[in-house]
Amino acid sequence: MDGPVKVKGVGASEGVAVGPAFVHAGEEPEPERQQISEADVEEELEGFRRAVEAVVARLSETARRLSASGNEDEAAIFEAHVELAGDPELASGVEERVRDLESPEAAVLAVGEEYAEVFAGMEDEYMVARADDVRDVASQIAAELIGRGAEGLEALETPSVVVARNLAPSDTVRIPRGKALAFVTAEGSKTSHVSIMARSMGIPAVVGVGAALDDVLVARTMAVDGGEGYAIADPNPDTIAAFEARAEEMAAASVALDEYRHVEARTRDGRRIEVSANLGSASEAEDALDWGAEGVGLFRTEFLFMERPELPSEEEQYEAYGAVARTFGARPVIIRTLDVGGDKDLPGVDQPAEENPFLGWRGIRMSLDTPSLFRPQLRSILRAGALGNLKVMFPMISDVEELRAAKAMLAECERELEREEAEVGQVEVGIMVETPSAALCARELAAEVSFFSIGTNDLVQYTLAADRGNERLRRLQDADHPAVLELIRITCEAAREEGIWVGVCGEAAGDPALIPRLLELGVTELSMSAPSIPRAKKLISEL
Amino acid sequence: MAEKETTVGPEEGLHARPAAQFVKAAKQFSSDIVVVKGDREANAKSSLKIMTLGAKKGDSITILAEGDDAQEAVDTLADLISADEH
Repeated sequence: MDGPVKVKGVGASEGVAVGPAFVHAGEEPEPERQQISEADVEEELEGFRRAVEAVVARLSETARRLSASGNEDEAAIFEAHVELAGDPELASGVEERVRDLESPEAAVLAVGEEYAEVFAGMEDEYMVARADDVRDVASQIAAELIGRGAEGLEALETPSVVVARNLAPSDTVRIPRGKALAFVTAEGSKTSHVSIMARSMGIPAVVGVGAALDDVLVARTMAVDGGEGYAIADPNPDTIAAFEARAEEMAAASVALDEYRHVEARTRDGRRIEVSANLGSASEAEDALDWGAEGVGLFRTEFLFMERPELPSEEEQYEAYGAVARTFGARPVIIRTLDVGGDKDLPGVDQPAEENPFLGWRGIRMSLDTPSLFRPQLRSILRAGALGNLKVMFPMISDVEELRAAKAMLAECERELEREEAEVGQVEVGIMVETPSAALCARELAAEVSFFSIGTNDLVQYTLAADRGNERLRRLQDADHPAVLELIRITCEAAREEGIWVGVCGEAAGDPALIPRLLELGVTELSMSAPSIPRAKKLISEL
Repeated sequence: MAEKETTVGPEEGLHARPAAQFVKAAKQFSSDIVVVKGDREANAKSSLKIMTLGAKKGDSITILAEGDDAQEAVDTLADLISADEH
């Protein structure tokens, strides 16, 4: 490539980084040899068996590591890949072709493709997704044969900038701890998995660069600015030096914040403010504690429900919620019930297409209408409550009627569990205040719950009637707007009168410019992405 | 040679978790085992092949085994796959 190339995207996680590029673009390994000679057949087959063994060993190791760290879902994916890699029919298909003098690397890609096409042609959505699994495994074996086997994310040894079309949960969990300096992806938005992961890992990310990704696939070095939302491929030495200096400065600033990680945040006049973490999956819990989280102010449960063939069972949910409850022990963990709408597909739920999914059938509205979805979630939260200090929070509440219906269903699940003699914990109930109507009805709602948590991202979007994904409406995407602040004030006042506490779990909670205002209004809990916690604690202690 | 006809029980059909369990169970036996659905058959010890059958809940399949533990294999596997998990 000639000279530096700059690509622009969405700044999804703040910070700067510069380092070697690690391109994980799902590129097919290109077999150079198509043919082999007859004399080499046995040796080639032996080579194929060794390659399979190496891939199986690597995949098994990843599965084992994931399972040991409590990521049972991801571990299951890799266990399935182990099965595919070692499949006897895959081996016999390859052997047949090798005996016809096809190179084993070409053969395994061809056989993998044959199966992938069969799966892709099936009606079942689940099987269509399996096509990619087979291709993935076949190309890993081919890569191993070509001699560049350990190319997967799990083999990342030098801390690098990971460049990819997209990074799914099954990708990010494969990256060894501390080896990703930053993410640059073609797809994604601020709320994509990759963005949430980057924020919880405390590394910069630029997502949604689109087709421009193709221009940087051959980059050897990448500089990333996750705040401004751009990346530079093969930057010149001056740029590298500038990025390194900024990265060091930020690292130094973060070291200076380290002493604040485990302090109890208190304002100068002695007000105690609880600083908690927003989590997107159980696997982030340990890191959050390390950053100094005093609890989990928002545990999103969506990840359990997405990109899978069937709804998660009560048992699976119980495991996930229980894992976080155990990790946090006596510290509070707020589990938010499912908050999706027509913009995301749910297996087994008939979701009609909607013109305005954010004003549509979502969150508690969907849950109340779909007991087959809601009841197992409530039951598993109640059961996991026995393992720690869990609270349940309902999203998208518009009025007290909805809240009462949700509480009635919760009470019914509790009675049911008692009849079954299952162990059930004491689980407090709270709601998200994210619709203007909830803020305006706060008095009535406060009488029914133990806490409020203000979801500023949605509250801003609904109050100012401005789509939060619309770049042209940037001016109307700030919680620091008089109308939004007024709704927060009303909410806090109602809470004070009813003697319940108010937290904030939107992006505003971690924003140094907004924290003083929020505390002034009466907020006593702030929940944010974990790496923002030390900075927030420092700020609070100086107020 | 042992043979048994049965109906697929699990909601997901013969793939995903049920297929993995089925293949795992099949591998415990030394016999050669095949699953037949309509005019197609698949090696019971290969999850790749088993999944290509696309067997759904309620589909009729036949399990055939040949070897020392053939009878035990078809009985075990037929029980496993006819069980309705839900």
